Amino acid sequence: MAITTVPGTTRKPGRPTPSYPGPQRTGLGRKVRDNLTGHAFLIGAVLCFLVFSWYPMIRGIVMSFQRTRRGETTWVGWDNYSRIIADPSFWPAWQNTLYFTVLALVLGYAAPFFVAILLNEFRHAKGYLRILVYLPVMLPPASALYLFKFYAYDPSEAGLFNAILKALHLPTSQWMQSPEMTMPAMVLASTWMNMGGAVLIYLASLQNIPGELYEAAELDGAGIWKRIRHVTIPQTRLILALLAMIQIVATMQLFIEPLILANGAGAEDSATSVAYLIYQHGFFQNDLNGAAALGVLMLVVLAGFSAAYLRLSAKQD
Amino acid sequence: MAQDSGTRTLISSAQLRRGRGRFLYWTLLTVVVVGFTLVFLGPLYWMVTGALKSGQEIAQTPPSLFPKDPQPQNYIDAWNNLDLAKLLFNTFYYAAGAVVFQLVLDTAAAYSLSKLRPVFGNVILALMLATLMIPAMVLIVPQYVTVIDLPILHINLLDSPFAIWLPLVANAFNIFLLKRFFDSIPEELMAAALVDGATPLRTLWSIILPMSRPILGVVSIFAVTAVWKDFLWPKLVMPAPETRTVSVGIYAFAGGTPMNVVIAASVIAAIPTVIIFLIFQRNIMSGLTTGSLKG
Amino acid sequence: MSVPQYRKAAALALVAGLGFSLTACSTKSDDKDTNAGGKVTITVDCQPVGAQKELLKNWNDDVAEFQRQNPDIVIKSVSVGEQCNNPPDFTARLAGGTVTDVFYGYMTDLQQVLDSGQAMDITQYANKDTIPTWDSVDPALKEVFTDGGKLYAVPVKNYSMGLVYNKVLFQRAGLDVNSPPKTWGEVRAAAKKISALGNGIAGYSEYSAGNTGGWHFTSLLYSQGGQVLTPDGKKADFNNAMGKQVLQNIKDMRYGDNSMGARQLLQWGDLLTNAGAGKVGMFIGAPDSTQAIVSQFQGKFQDWAMAPLPGQDGLAKGTLGGGEGYFFKKDLTPEQVKAGMKWIAYQKLTPGKGQFDYVRAKPQNYPVGLPQPLLFANGSDAQKQELELRKANANVDTANFAIFEATPVPIKGEPRNAQAVYAVLDAAMSGVLTNPNSNIDALLKTAEEKVNQLLAAES
Repeated sequence: MAITTVPGTTRKPGRPTPSYPGPQRTGLGRKVRDNLTGHAFLIGAVLCFLVFSWYPMIRGIVMSFQRTRRGETTWVGWDNYSRIIADPSFWPAWQNTLYFTVLALVLGYAAPFFVAILLNEFRHAKGYLRILVYLPVMLPPASALYLFKFYAYDPSEAGLFNAILKALHLPTSQWMQSPEMTMPAMVLASTWMNMGGAVLIYLASLQNIPGELYEAAELDGAGIWKRIRHVTIPQTRLILALLAMIQIVATMQLFIEPLILANGAGAEDSATSVAYLIYQHGFFQNDLNGAAALGVLMLVVLAGFSAAYLRLSAKQD
Repeated sequence: MAQDSGTRTLISSAQLRRGRGRFLYWTLLTVVVVGFTLVFLGPLYWMVTGALKSGQEIAQTPPSLFPKDPQPQNYIDAWNNLDLAKLLFNTFYYAAGAVVFQLVLDTAAAYSLSKLRPVFGNVILALMLATLMIPAMVLIVPQYVTVIDLPILHINLLDSPFAIWLPLVANAFNIFLLKRFFDSIPEELMAAALVDGATPLRTLWSIILPMSRPILGVVSIFAVTAVWKDFLWPKLVMPAPETRTVSVGIYAFAGGTPMNVVIAASVIAAIPTVIIFLIFQRNIMSGLTTGSLKG
Repeated sequence: MSVPQYRKAAALALVAGLGFSLTACSTKSDDKDTNAGGKVTITVDCQPVGAQKELLKNWNDDVAEFQRQNPDIVIKSVSVGEQCNNPPDFTARLAGGTVTDVFYGYMTDLQQVLDSGQAMDITQYANKDTIPTWDSVDPALKEVFTDGGKLYAVPVKNYSMGLVYNKVLFQRAGLDVNSPPKTWGEVRAAAKKISALGNGIAGYSEYSAGNTGGWHFTSLLYSQGGQVLTPDGKKADFNNAMGKQVLQNIKDMRYGDNSMGARQLLQWGDLLTNAGAGKVGMFIGAPDSTQAIVSQFQGKFQDWAMAPLPGQDGLAKGTLGGGEGYFFKKDLTPEQVKAGMKWIAYQKLTPGKGQFDYVRAKPQNYPVGLPQPLLFANGSDAQKQELELRKANANVDTANFAIFEATPVPIKGEPRNAQAVYAVLDAAMSGVLTNPNSNIDALLKTAEEKVNQLLAAES
């Protein structure tokens, strides 16, 4: 299914038939040997996929129907699923994760694109601005989050954000201690620390847009917004689609932000994410099977989501 | 960048040089430069100076702009107590290993899939690409139990760097990028090499790879970033303090360390990466531009 | 290059991928050399981390001395981090089988350890021959580490919670250091005075994240005479007047008096960091929290004193107790088990040695004279010896702990399924601590439903 995830990215190979061995390719022995060579090159990566990706995939599904107690594993049917769904944090976790994903799409996804367009127009200070945007990416993620937790989101008036708000005579906020602000605050921190990578990628793709297209559009009387709409966006559509996909998959796995900013669950479960719940079950509550079941549920949701995405992008083509 | 003068972007240079356009351009540029400096450099300034403040000063209202009584001891404590040298070494070691493993194994695989095309190659590729849709979090538990007891071999990879390196090789995105790049290399070159009697490995080494530097650069950048940014996986598979990465190490100590020291540690941890980025930023940018990320 | 050569190269790439991992692992497993040269080697965890300089030096000195006395035993120390048992890491080590030969765990960990199948039955090894003070060890503690009549760990520490308070802040607020609050009402009044000192000082501080909120809720509930679960462990039992009182007390201090500070969602280290910085007047904790404040959070133990846990009207009706022990990894040889026992006996259970070496600890930046670890049974020889040494070498004002010691409060253990229940109760605690309009009845009702669901799904 995933071959078509990124529509149009696969360049059609020149010829479908194996072309490398060329004209003198004759005889069965040769063919076998060539195939062996091909597989010899493949085997390292294939083994890694096998052990660390394909096998765990199946193992996860199997585990989700088993329970290991005192070193003994038994089949328990849907027990793990009913236990995990009965977990009081189950629905809040999904709600929070989806909310975060949507917020991150609005803020974290659009922001880098427009920042890149802006930076691409500047004839000066370009290198400086580019480095600035990328600086937070270079902090270890835990560090960046502690920076927010200790300084920016301090709920007292000693906190940076509250000090600024107070100086502007605006109401201060409890930040991570307020269930309403928890998610927006996490999206803000997450966008700040991650957007640099996306900006660089967009900048790279903007530089590959042929200038003639803009010229032609301008001659047709298209203003700036029209040019963005009809030239910039279509020309970078592929990258936009790819990064949208990557970002959604990434935000669905929201973990380190609640772990550090909210010490886990936050105020009344307002920060609990699905990934955090997996971690909580697997490594706090000694329930790896329940955690595996939650992982499978996450997979199902994402698969449903990708199917919808594929259908949408197929329609557009 | 050098080519700017020649490249036409959204708004033509001519327009920006004239009257109103020129005024708007400079106003906007000033606003953006000042704004970005505040938004992106400001917090880092806060971090560097905050780590110099005493515990008393941090709790003060309103916060002070400059540390009144700088405490460099916080930095020394951070370096010693968190054993930052070790944490940084670990992280760079894991990153370097990840680059090597991904370059060698993923390139070989992509080369085979693109040029050698053995039987079932397409099936394998499809299976690999299918994993693109499976986020790491879904697999974290089964992957973890696999790593602590590898099937058949019954080896435990906990606290071994291979627990980080090998799973990263299973990266369909890299293989996809590499394969796509290799696909764009004309078949004629391959055929010519074959006529000269070159073996596939030889062809890869002396024809394909030299042409693929940009994409290899991109894969390397992704490999380094993946190790640098990853948190939960290294936290789980590297439970011993001596094998932790920087991010995990800082987290582990944060619970039992005053916050000035945690922040000081963060500053120190960021320095080597910032330096590396400043040195290589041109290569990184041109790698991203000329690499496979064309829209 | 000929054909075989590139094959070789491809094979090499493969070997690079797999072969290395084999060697990497084979080097790892060689610390299993049990009887190298007639010596017995055991690995032991919970060695202090580098930041705890004096503790680490003491530990290393103990190892050297122990090995001198027992030339046939080699102790390999492993430091697993600043908290010897950080649940996720502990789970990881258990599941991965990378626990040390002799490994540290909490009393509440017994079920998890048994589930993992990593511990061995040590009943036949624990006796006076391996641990000279074994008969003095409080039988109740042994019982905690016993399952189905089999002993799985040697207890090395035991504590119960009380009210820890900062004497300096008490004096500054005009409170009597020698007459700490006895009821929650008095705690509230004192907290109000202390927080009036300003400067971000919290009169009373409480947890609400990382499962520590639930842990303290439990202790507070015990002080009211309540219990978290019904005796059969099948239902929640905190949605009642006592549970409400617990949350009401906190809410009154947090929003009624604003005496708990602005920063909430605290977990273990956060509160102690604040305490170390002199920003906390009172909190509930075990005597050893003052040790952590000193060794990890740059505080001064001289500033701290401890009172028994307050109750609603009068003395607390109960308090939370817990403790630690050392488990033994399965498949150890009998020699290794005995060597491990000897080591624990030396470092943890001998008055005058190891953790009881008060002569050594007295001049160090470490409190001596705390009313713990309550390891030995009342009236036993070991207890008498230990008490004498403690008294002779105390560097804290034992008067500060005298009330705590002289006023025994009934100790209750942690509930079944503690961590999962605590996670639920965190939400109730964070509710009253972060929301001025929180509805206590609703919070408790939700928590009750959640715990009941959880217990039902668990059985």
